[in-house]
Amino acid sequence: MEKFERVMCVEDDPDIRLILDFSIGRMGGFSLCLCSGGQEALDKVEGFRPQLVLLDVMMPEMSGPQTLTKLKELPTMRGVPIVFLTAKSMQEEMEELLAFGATGIIVKPFDPMTLPDNIRIYWEHGRGTDT
Amino acid sequence: MPSFIQSKEMLRVLVADDIDSSRQELVAMVRDIGHEVLEAPSGEVALHLIDSDCPDVILLDLLMPRMDGFQVAQEVRKRVNGKWLPVIVFSSLEGDEHFAKALQSGAADYLVKPVKPIILRAKLRQYQRILSMQSKMGLLAQRQHAINEHIADAVITTDEQGRVSELNRAARNIFQVNDAQVNMRLSVMDLIGKTLKQLMSRAEIEIILPDGRTVWFSVAHNSWAIGLQVFFTISLHDLSEVKRIERMKDEFLATVSHELRTPLTSILGALGLLAAGAGGPMPPAAVELAQVAKRNGDRLSRLIDDVLDLTKLEGNRMPLHLRTMDLRLLTEEAISANASYAQRTGVRIELQCVGHLFQVKLDPDRFLQVMANLLSNAIKHSPKDAVVRVVLETHGPSLKVHVMDQGPGIDKDFRKNLFEKFSQADSSDRRAMGGTGLGLYICRMLVEKMNGTVSADPGVTGGATFTVSFPRIVTPDERTWVLCIAQDRQLQERVLEWLSDVAKVELASSLETAAEIVLHLGAPSFVLADPQAQGPADQFCTKLLRIVANDRILLTGGALDAGFAARHGLQWLSLSITPRHEFVTQVRALLSGSPMDQQHGKI
Repeated sequence: MEKFERVMCVEDDPDIRLILDFSIGRMGGFSLCLCSGGQEALDKVEGFRPQLVLLDVMMPEMSGPQTLTKLKELPTMRGVPIVFLTAKSMQEEMEELLAFGATGIIVKPFDPMTLPDNIRIYWEHGRGTDT
Repeated sequence: MPSFIQSKEMLRVLVADDIDSSRQELVAMVRDIGHEVLEAPSGEVALHLIDSDCPDVILLDLLMPRMDGFQVAQEVRKRVNGKWLPVIVFSSLEGDEHFAKALQSGAADYLVKPVKPIILRAKLRQYQRILSMQSKMGLLAQRQHAINEHIADAVITTDEQGRVSELNRAARNIFQVNDAQVNMRLSVMDLIGKTLKQLMSRAEIEIILPDGRTVWFSVAHNSWAIGLQVFFTISLHDLSEVKRIERMKDEFLATVSHELRTPLTSILGALGLLAAGAGGPMPPAAVELAQVAKRNGDRLSRLIDDVLDLTKLEGNRMPLHLRTMDLRLLTEEAISANASYAQRTGVRIELQCVGHLFQVKLDPDRFLQVMANLLSNAIKHSPKDAVVRVVLETHGPSLKVHVMDQGPGIDKDFRKNLFEKFSQADSSDRRAMGGTGLGLYICRMLVEKMNGTVSADPGVTGGATFTVSFPRIVTPDERTWVLCIAQDRQLQERVLEWLSDVAKVELASSLETAAEIVLHLGAPSFVLADPQAQGPADQFCTKLLRIVANDRILLTGGALDAGFAARHGLQWLSLSITPRHEFVTQVRALLSGSPMDQQHGKI
């Protein structure tokens, strides 16, 4: 059975990247690839081959949805769940985000202690399926 | 009458007569009365003076050479447009026919020569009054017109069929209509693409303008009548600016919320990791401090959520998705969502449902939000090992959810402000309990938007009870229903239980509630009533008969007997000694329309 061990996080805020590093990397024990923007993620995705991507929505230059669309075009990304990370927003905006083809949404501020478990749930539900 | 309109004290009277002596005599008379005089020795001069000196009244001799009084009267009628210039003819001719002819030619009145001063004075006084009234009306109309023309809102007047009879300047500009088009009696549909009904049924309406822009207007309207003809005046206020500002505010808030949450994510994340030991072991004092910071960070985060919700609610910009839902299932969901919090604090939540039809129209997510708030409040204020009771019940036309805790309860003075902003009992309480002071206010706003109400009462056994109430959906299969009027809880419960498979039961603890229920749901299939603890039983029966017909009433209760019931033309049955199956059989018979069995009445 496939083991879930590689997570890519795309987040422009360096402090939140550090929290993600602690939470998913050091506490959760995942192999983590931290990217500061959509372009970096696109550059690194071939080499890293993430099993799940955690993607910030509001980023300068390339937004979360734009990055998602580009990632989805890559053969490497087939069947890889992408989860948005976003400040709590209205129901409508959530539906819009899911309509881009995301597997789920994790709301900021998130609990770093439960985050590894949460992404594991998304991975189990979302892997192999392409929405 | 506005103060700037003065009545006219002195008239300017034109005296036209070709005979000098009689003209002089009249002139002197008019001067004596106190008016200003203009003299004309001929019809031609009279007409000239009318144009140049604007007299108020004309005294006109009928018999003059060349242009006589008849001709002058006709000319006056032709040339004075809009303004009324009363012409009083006089003559020494015998008979009424020439006066009649003069009146037909446009004269207002006549005097017989020789003119008597007393008559002239009285006549001029009448005209003075009429002219003064006319001038006041003219000024008022002018003033109204000026106001109407200069307001920025479009004002449209139509008849009952929606044909436009008047447009102010703003309306003509906004909808690009010229005067000729107004005279064509266009319909409001032609003009703005909406029917009169559409315009009058909404507070705000979106209109596509001739320049292609789509603009929101707020609509105010009223109707008025001239005789039997009804008119509608509609004023449209452009909301573009308001909408633009609203949009800016929304965008600003979305940005602020994002900008606030980003650092908060790092702060809370770091504190959570620290407190969990992710940064290495910490001495207990340091852990405690990290927890303080974390707890308050969480509160700040909730406060941001609440402020945003609030802004959207107050600005009417929170979209609600009202759907028909089973309130029982939703309440169960709400309880399970808050169960872990309750467990952590050693509190148990119990649900009790009274009745069995819980269909309401609401937004499920928003209802869950309200319940989360009420439940977490109840848990927060409960002592350890206490129970939070949630009771769901049908109550006449409404469905109520009560959340009852065993906490300290709510101070009486404070209760009235409970659902206002930042209204926790005191600010130290707010801090101690980690609340934002906005929760109940948001609950109230949400519930009201879903056509419900929320209230707080002191609990029966101490503690506090919060009640959320929504209008029930009455389905057609509820046509068969029983109204049970009783105060005895045991009796109520027995009826509910025994009839659970037979018919829907509505409970009313008093005649007032019963009347309310009947008003809303119509006549019940039958009524089961226990007059106990409802005042004198005779009065109770009299009042009950005003609510429902006697063939639909079944009295019960140990304090009465069949004889008493019979005196009021009613049936009686004792629920305490009638076995369940007999009661059910009897009710089924009643519901199927067969007459009630006297035998059972005597059990």
